[in-house]
Amino acid sequence: MNYDVLVVGSGIGGMESSLKLGDMGYKVLLVEKEPSVGGKMILLSKVFPTLDCASCISTPKMAATWHHPNVDVMIYSEVEKIKRNREGGFKVRVRRKPTFVKQALCTGCRQCETACNVAVPDQYNFGLVARRAAHIAFPQAVPKKAVIERKGSSPCLFACPAGVKAHGYVALARAGKFDEAFNLVLEDTPLVGSLGRACFALCEAECARGVLEGPVSIRRIKRFIADRYYRLHPEPDHKAPEDLNGKKVAIVGSGPAGLTAAFHLARKGYKVKIFEAAAKPGGMLRLGIPAYRIPRDVVDRDIKNVTALGVEIETGVRVENIQDLKNQGFEAVFIAAGCQGAAKLGVPGEDLAGVFYGVDFLRKMNLGEAVSLGQRVAVIGGGNVAMDTARSALRLGAREVRVYCLEKEGELFASPGEVEAARREGVKIHHARGVRLIKGEHGSVTGLVTVAVKSVFDENGRFNPVYIDGTEEETAADSVIVSIGQRAVLNFTGGLEELTGANGRLAVDPDTLATPVPGVFAGGDVVTGPSLIVKAGGQGRRAAFFIDRYLRGEALEGAGFDYRLPVVDKEEVMARQQSYKTLVPVEKKEILKERPDDFTEVEIPLTEEEARYSAGRCLDCGVCSQCLQCVAACPAKAVDMEMKEETVEAEVSSVIVSTGFRLFPADAKPQYGYGKFRNVITGMEMDRLLAPTRPYNTILRPGDGKVPESVAFILCTGSRDQTVNNRLCSRICCMYSLKHNQLIMGALPLADVTVYYIDIRAFSKGYEEFYRQAKGMGANFVKGRVAKVEEKENGNLILHYEDIDNGGKLSRAEHDLVVLSVGLLPNTEYMNLFDGEELEPDEFFYVKEADEDLNPGKTGIDGVFVAGTASGAKDIPDSILHAGAAAAQAAAHVERMRRGQ
Amino acid sequence: MNGEVRDLREVIREEMLMRDKIAGILKDGPRTVPEIAQALGHPSWEVMYWVMGMRKYGYVSETGDVTEEGYHRYRVVAREGN
Repeated sequence: MNYDVLVVGSGIGGMESSLKLGDMGYKVLLVEKEPSVGGKMILLSKVFPTLDCASCISTPKMAATWHHPNVDVMIYSEVEKIKRNREGGFKVRVRRKPTFVKQALCTGCRQCETACNVAVPDQYNFGLVARRAAHIAFPQAVPKKAVIERKGSSPCLFACPAGVKAHGYVALARAGKFDEAFNLVLEDTPLVGSLGRACFALCEAECARGVLEGPVSIRRIKRFIADRYYRLHPEPDHKAPEDLNGKKVAIVGSGPAGLTAAFHLARKGYKVKIFEAAAKPGGMLRLGIPAYRIPRDVVDRDIKNVTALGVEIETGVRVENIQDLKNQGFEAVFIAAGCQGAAKLGVPGEDLAGVFYGVDFLRKMNLGEAVSLGQRVAVIGGGNVAMDTARSALRLGAREVRVYCLEKEGELFASPGEVEAARREGVKIHHARGVRLIKGEHGSVTGLVTVAVKSVFDENGRFNPVYIDGTEEETAADSVIVSIGQRAVLNFTGGLEELTGANGRLAVDPDTLATPVPGVFAGGDVVTGPSLIVKAGGQGRRAAFFIDRYLRGEALEGAGFDYRLPVVDKEEVMARQQSYKTLVPVEKKEILKERPDDFTEVEIPLTEEEARYSAGRCLDCGVCSQCLQCVAACPAKAVDMEMKEETVEAEVSSVIVSTGFRLFPADAKPQYGYGKFRNVITGMEMDRLLAPTRPYNTILRPGDGKVPESVAFILCTGSRDQTVNNRLCSRICCMYSLKHNQLIMGALPLADVTVYYIDIRAFSKGYEEFYRQAKGMGANFVKGRVAKVEEKENGNLILHYEDIDNGGKLSRAEHDLVVLSVGLLPNTEYMNLFDGEELEPDEFFYVKEADEDLNPGKTGIDGVFVAGTASGAKDIPDSILHAGAAAAQAAAHVERMRRGQ
Repeated sequence: MNGEVRDLREVIREEMLMRDKIAGILKDGPRTVPEIAQALGHPSWEVMYWVMGMRKYGYVSETGDVTEEGYHRYRVVAREGN
């Protein structure tokens, strides 16, 4: 792209320069970092001294700029670098930030904004009110298009292997939108109830709130959402899609991976059949996890989420040859058979009666088959299955359950919560003990011999336990349950040896989950080895995505499954606030009694109040929560959550820097109490209170909503002030305060207005008359510096000031609203724009003009000009005049380049 | 006047949490910001953010009258589209 002139910044100066150049026939690229053109002027109430409506003056210029045939505007974009090119012009690199809303489709209806569930300070109202993550900058925005503020993926959401949008459903729960929260989880997994109980919540491990009082209780919020929904909806609301695509997919195994894959494939219109070897569906959800952790009715209801879509589950059928399924007309197969085999201990006595394996024991127990354990049970292993086994043994009547594990205390693979629960129920855990042999008499177990462990892993990190001879101990036991691991049982791959990987599990492409056999995919534990429900579910979701592509004849490689924005930096999240109120997590409550005798669920769910409170602890790390309510609400289908950042390069002959100014931060004068006393506001905030699009619909005190009766203005706040290193006059704070005086007296005829000033600088055309007009309307002017402001109990403010006109005595006055007429500061962002050349600042850090009297707008870089307040404080007429001069300078430069001079 | 000064961002974030509570209070009739604050047990300036956020997005509106103390009263309104 080639342009004559690049204009950086679309405030009144940038727009004026662009329009003038465009009218002269020059091609202009105007880059604006905000989602709308207009800068600060469009946010004003009126302009001085004419009291014309700022919007009425600005919006025609904004529209003219946006629609000008010679001006291309890039909003929500930032100039990254400007570098001199060989032709004497400049090469420009611009970063176009994703708005996540297709601008061509957005109608500006604000439906996304009203549906959004994340409230953040509205910077266009200077923090006086909230806006939403999905928002249109302000009502007069040009273009009037929505943007969604997304700082990145929230850590919780980014961590979820199943792609469940944790931040999204937490935000919905916070707002009390529980049905929407359930449906958001259901978008990614049918196992809402099971995951709400037995998920190991990798999301919580990443929660930014964890560095404060503890992470948000994300899993328990999900459980609340699921329990509530299932109570109100015993049967799923969704049905099978009406338009099936006529293709059949077979799934081997009805565990988390198989159910999840079936769910997603059925929603895409496939006819899905699951083959399950066990008598009941659910895989590890039902057969591997005891009912006190996931009640069976919850598993059943989760499965209904799948079968409601028309998925058929045939139980009690063992698939022995994948090829048979293809012969039955299934065009694709997903193998999700899990790890059904048990790892052996390999010690003498392992073949005695009374020796069980954890996974087999749990399966039998969960299918209701009789298991005779006796009174004394020894469990071998330190993982979650070992804890499930031990706690189940107690419930089956064992009087003594001992767990022997190789690891030291605190190093177990089992989650700390499970270990603690097992202890509290009476399980005795023996750390760093290995098994030498299992003893028996008459073919049955009578005890075991354990030995102290010296080390578990060798110097290369491989599992290679070393025992300490001479530390053997014998313990009596009626049964031993070996729970040291599981392995895949590949008894269904007849004739397809290429399916089997070197590790004894199925070999797949880790991205697509495709096996070497066309049309056969595999995932879950049978591929990964024993893992987590949520990881298996994630594999099922992934498999469904690639099976769908395979069956539609699309390439599998590079398909971009599950695109997520980079995770947001937690330190950046924490730095957004200066302080945090302590919000203690709701304590996890379980019914844990010694030697429990039934399989009643142990965890006590959150109440609705607790769920909302817990959700309210969320810090909205990514800002947008990805609750997707905007997607549902948008009638134009304009929301695009996968929109990506773009880099645009252009060649230009000249550059106009019109980056404007910064307002003096009022809290840098702490004696005035800004930020601490809520009824102390800035001049810009008063402008917003007076504007047609005002945040309160009237003039109110932010502290309590009272209509103010006595308003004070403190002029020269942060200007002409050596104590804050800004000795310049702001040039505008006198006049905008006089404007405010008159507008307040017009809107609130009974209100008193007092101006504390050093001197009134009414220097331009009509300004002196404007000052007299304010006086004539009744504004009270007090000559003197305000030393400090104090707050009373009722929110009123006491000003201590030097009363110069009355002999310089120190006086006090009470007002119920104080406006700090803050000055201007240079916006130094321009300093980073140029590569290889320096855009020189003046002594106050505004852009230095080479000769502001005779050559206004010209900077120290040939071909680069400055417009408006980027070169120094100016009022609006002067800014426009200056921008015109800069445009003329740029046009002359372009002409000189064209003539080769 | 309001005791503890909390971070603005934290207060604003809680609008979603407080919305139903405020709507519940207003079901009994219009209230001023200080009255809502007293009912909630939160400072008035925090409630101001929540009520004005609700006002902006169509959950409440002012009744039009102002109390002798100078406060508008707010009432629940039916949201457009809801």
